[in-house]
Amino acid sequence: MIASDKTLIRLNGLSKHYGRLTVLDGIDLEVKAGEVLAIIGPSGSGKSTLLRCINYLEPPDGGTITVDDIVIDAGNPIGRAALSGLRRRVGMVFQSFNLFPHMSVLRNISLPQERVLGRSRKEADARSMQLLSRVGLADKAEQFPIRCSGGQQQRIAIARALALDPEVMLFDEPTSALDPELGLEVLAVMRELAKSGMTMIVVTHEMGFAENVSDTVMIMADGNIVEKGPSKEIMRNPQHERTKRFLRAVHDR
Amino acid sequence: MNGLDLMPLFRGLLWTITLTGGAFLIGSVLAVPLLLARRSRVWLVRFVAMSVIQIVRGIPPILWLFIIFFGLGMGFLPVSPFGAALAGLGLIAAANMAEIYRGALSSIHFGQFEAANALDLGRWSTFRDVVAPQAFRVALPTAASYLIGLMKETAVASTIGVTELAFHGKQMSQLTFRGLEVYALVGLFYIALSLPVAWASRAADSRLRARVAR
Amino acid sequence: MLPDFTEITAWMPDLMSGFKISLQVTFFSLLIGIPFGLVLALGVMAKGRVIRAISLFAVEVGRGAPALVLLQFIYVGLPSAGLMVGSFMAAIAALAWNTGAYTSEIIRASLLSIPSGQREAAEALGMKRLDELRFILLPQGLRVALPALLGFSILIFQSTSLCFTIALPELVSRAYEIGSITFRYFPVLLLAGLLYASISIPAALLVDFIEKRAGKFASR
Repeated sequence: MIASDKTLIRLNGLSKHYGRLTVLDGIDLEVKAGEVLAIIGPSGSGKSTLLRCINYLEPPDGGTITVDDIVIDAGNPIGRAALSGLRRRVGMVFQSFNLFPHMSVLRNISLPQERVLGRSRKEADARSMQLLSRVGLADKAEQFPIRCSGGQQQRIAIARALALDPEVMLFDEPTSALDPELGLEVLAVMRELAKSGMTMIVVTHEMGFAENVSDTVMIMADGNIVEKGPSKEIMRNPQHERTKRFLRAVHDR
Repeated sequence: MNGLDLMPLFRGLLWTITLTGGAFLIGSVLAVPLLLARRSRVWLVRFVAMSVIQIVRGIPPILWLFIIFFGLGMGFLPVSPFGAALAGLGLIAAANMAEIYRGALSSIHFGQFEAANALDLGRWSTFRDVVAPQAFRVALPTAASYLIGLMKETAVASTIGVTELAFHGKQMSQLTFRGLEVYALVGLFYIALSLPVAWASRAADSRLRARVAR
Repeated sequence: MLPDFTEITAWMPDLMSGFKISLQVTFFSLLIGIPFGLVLALGVMAKGRVIRAISLFAVEVGRGAPALVLLQFIYVGLPSAGLMVGSFMAAIAALAWNTGAYTSEIIRASLLSIPSGQREAAEALGMKRLDELRFILLPQGLRVALPALLGFSILIFQSTSLCFTIALPELVSRAYEIGSITFRYFPVLLLAGLLYASISIPAALLVDFIEKRAGKFASR
């Protein structure tokens, strides 16, 4: 269900090297507003790096990134305004949740709103509570993260990112650190988010999510895009030998 | 620095090295019985050892030197400044080294003791072949940085008239009225003295590490 | 050999007023020195080469030279450069420098011990560098650093005894003075030692306790 034809994210020739190792080999990619893109592929294929380059957690070495009206030329040093504009539009969820352990669940979600968007404490808390209810954890507001299960922590992390009203959400293997059962509750939240029309880029090993929830699937290997297309087609009828091999390996596991 | 005769500082350096080395040696040896007492099965022995360690560490070094040099030296048992400094700093080093040994021992995973027991190695062999080599590696960097700390601590010996580095620094600054330069130099001497220790410790540590190759 | 009761009552007022000065010097040295340590820690981790070099120099000298030499340097050295400082100010300046140098290493290590994910999360949320430091890194880092900072505070308290050498009338000076007048060195020095121990030993036990509790917390 792609909501519109408007292109929200465009990457042109995005590249990243670690010394002599090429991690991203000139990636071109378009993501439409409301699209859910799943990125799959073997480890070391560059998919996490791609995600982290999009919001400049790792600065790419070359290429351009366009998110909405923000255009960044990775060849030049990034300006403060461009960086904060980019971060404002892009939310991110990490494999290891990265909640702030010294703050209550509510503070985790409210503090960034106050500091980044300048919301008042009252406004921020109201929004936080609304999002906590949405991920089914309103009763955890006053707890500290350490008292929550991994699945709960990840749902809180999703709420924290959503609280800044991003236009796109990046998910970096959001269920990889979780037991399968706890992963399901996170996937349920993500499915609901996809239905609501959020633009999402999800690096994942969950083949079910890639096939059934995402609109588009992209396979990466060795810093390149192997193939990309509508999710059902790619998952059921892959064209490239590399994709077939990867999917077979996943199924055999 | 023209016009400053540096020879006294070098003579002082020699005494600083002697005092540091002597106190460290005394401390490293005395720390062994202190550690054994600290880990004794008898409650009272353990308590006494712990109290000794706490009291020695709880009173500033300069005061220990005064207690030995002025307090005991005047009347009870006469002692030279160097002897008093050596005794005081050796005592302090013993308490600190005992804690360093203890820290190293407690860093050894209890699985090592279990394994040694299961192999029926016996107490002595367990200590010599299993515990000591591992503890030594852990203790080495801590002991080296303590050695550097002790070296700086020896400056207090100047207050009871040991003619080490800080003593000559004071004398020189009083003679020349150039305290800023003199004490900058003295500080530099201490820093320079700590460099070889830090370097040797790092080299030894990386060699030991490479051998264990974790 | 031990002080008798009349001696104790005669000496105590003098010793206590010296003790008060020792505590004052400790307090101000820490009050100035620990924030200075934070500044130095950030300076050593800064990107600018000049800032880094200056901070590193301040740290290396402040740690590398004995506190006694720092004291002399400031008390004897600065006047020879035309800057008069009283012994109280000199004591605080030298010990605050010493404190800053040591605590900068403690604080730096604790900041580095924070998982990189915390930084990344703050960055990804678009928080400013200063906010990241203030709300995310410092609260977590200082919690880690607390036992070591307390432990160092005990050492600085003991280091105030070195101010004897710059004629500050603190505890050791008072005790020494009484000793040189009465020739009863041993008992009066012993009494001074007890006063030091009355602070150092409970504080050391407290640090042990906090460390153990922190260890338990971390292993959960």
